Amino acid sequence: MVVDADDTGVGAGLDALDTPQQQQRRSLGARLRSFAARALPPVVALAVGIAIWQVLWAAAIWPEYQLPSPLSVWDHVTEAFGDGSLLGWFWVSVHRAFIGFGISLVVAVPLGLAIANVPVVRRGVGPLVSGLQSLPSVAWVPAAILWFGLTDAAIYFVVLLGAVPSIANGLVSGIDQVPPILPRVGKVLGAGRLANVRHILMPAALPGFLGGLKQGWAFSWRSLMAAELIATSPQLGEGLGQVLHNGMSLSDQSLVFFAILLIFLVGVGIELAVFRPLERAVLRARGLAGLS
Amino acid sequence: MTATVAIASETAVATAPAVRLSGVGKTFGHGKAAVTALDGVDLEVAPGEFVCLLGASGCGKTTLLNLVAGLDRPSTGTIELTTGRPAVVFQEPALMPWLTAAGNVELALRLAGASRAVRRARTTELLELVRLGGVGGKRPHELSGGMRQRVALARALASATHGAASSDVRDALILMDEPFSALDAITRDVLQAELGRIWRAIGAAVVFVTHDVREAVRLGQRVVLLSSRPGRVVEEWYVDGVTGLDELALVDRINARLREVISSHATH
Repeated sequence: MVVDADDTGVGAGLDALDTPQQQQRRSLGARLRSFAARALPPVVALAVGIAIWQVLWAAAIWPEYQLPSPLSVWDHVTEAFGDGSLLGWFWVSVHRAFIGFGISLVVAVPLGLAIANVPVVRRGVGPLVSGLQSLPSVAWVPAAILWFGLTDAAIYFVVLLGAVPSIANGLVSGIDQVPPILPRVGKVLGAGRLANVRHILMPAALPGFLGGLKQGWAFSWRSLMAAELIATSPQLGEGLGQVLHNGMSLSDQSLVFFAILLIFLVGVGIELAVFRPLERAVLRARGLAGLS
Repeated sequence: MTATVAIASETAVATAPAVRLSGVGKTFGHGKAAVTALDGVDLEVAPGEFVCLLGASGCGKTTLLNLVAGLDRPSTGTIELTTGRPAVVFQEPALMPWLTAAGNVELALRLAGASRAVRRARTTELLELVRLGGVGGKRPHELSGGMRQRVALARALASATHGAASSDVRDALILMDEPFSALDAITRDVLQAELGRIWRAIGAAVVFVTHDVREAVRLGQRVVLLSSRPGRVVEEWYVDGVTGLDELALVDRINARLREVISSHATH
């Protein structure tokens, strides 16, 4: 076995040739163009939708309490902005959603880890958690009100039952999809069971777990709105669900539309602002980001 | 576990072997469906020795390696290790995709309980050893197949030296399961030379599984031929220092023997 002097050169050359090429950073103009290409179609679609709405309203086919004008909905926006009530509603609902989501995380992560790693728990609790995921959590609202009364606890209970199954299942499927060679590597490197979970399984399952988190957020937001819509009481504070309820009680369709708009914006906004960038960063770090 | 002092000698005689397998057998399944992968394997590897396990598909090479690595238990027989936990290089690099090259090497040291300062110094050192000093910050998907396998080798070296009973690298045992078989011919050729250089530099014992006779003769000091289903030791050759025409002749002879072993299965 003699190493030739030029073997080093050949090795270095191979490294240079075989290394996957990284994409060059695009120029500002190119990035602006691609942003415009992505942003323009939905904006145009929205504008067309509003135009059709305006035309339908102007044709006066339906009474005002069924189809309000776009402008009257917009008036609600400016008014709520002006007197600060918008921030209040936002705060009540969003902080509930965050606290509920946080508690769900604390419950769902150990639950998911136990289901994924302990066969008895998987057989016993696994199907139950999957089943709960397909049960609309709004079904729990009456039971929650009977147990906890019209309190925050009732609302959090419903949010938890919406989000925990999604997050736990996301973690389980994330762990199930880890290539078996990775925990084996952990084992030959001397990792015990806990170290294997902490250093290999958890990080390897992160993409699947993030998917579960995203779904868990969507579910907790939906559950929260359902709970707020049904469990309305003066001492609960006014969230977006209550605004919706008030609109219905007052036969004020423009207020209902306005509340729907806000609920939609918060749900989509959090996903775009928090989960999308997080997911993209994680996938990109692993060379998995197919989307630009 | 006893720490042994390796005596470098041309005749591969040492005080206590790095690993000794006596009558090792492995059967998978029960009753009629049982498959005997290994049967009565006796093998000794001296400290610092480079042994190539050669055999066709289904000869239980990988099973044998898993037993030595402690990933599986033998059905019969015993395996004695005088080294610490053996390090393993698999056929695929199996790097953690979320860690950089340096992070992957460091993980091995971390799991072995090395302090932060030691980890950093040792990682740099090992990446230099496999000639990847400049790419420690890159992630696996940014590296070529050959570079990834070298990171895997550096990781194995890290675990071999820090999981060992003594800190002496020569007491370490490295198990390699066809580590170059998924690479293209030129890269494989370069990596074989690299492995030879690294092995001479650190002096650890290596058990290298392969189905490539040429590779076995080129790398090993000793080539051990296993039969298939069940795997048994058929024959072994000392190939250290065999070069040139002698090497070619030996490759032909071992190849012929391997073909004989494989042909014997055609009647079943």
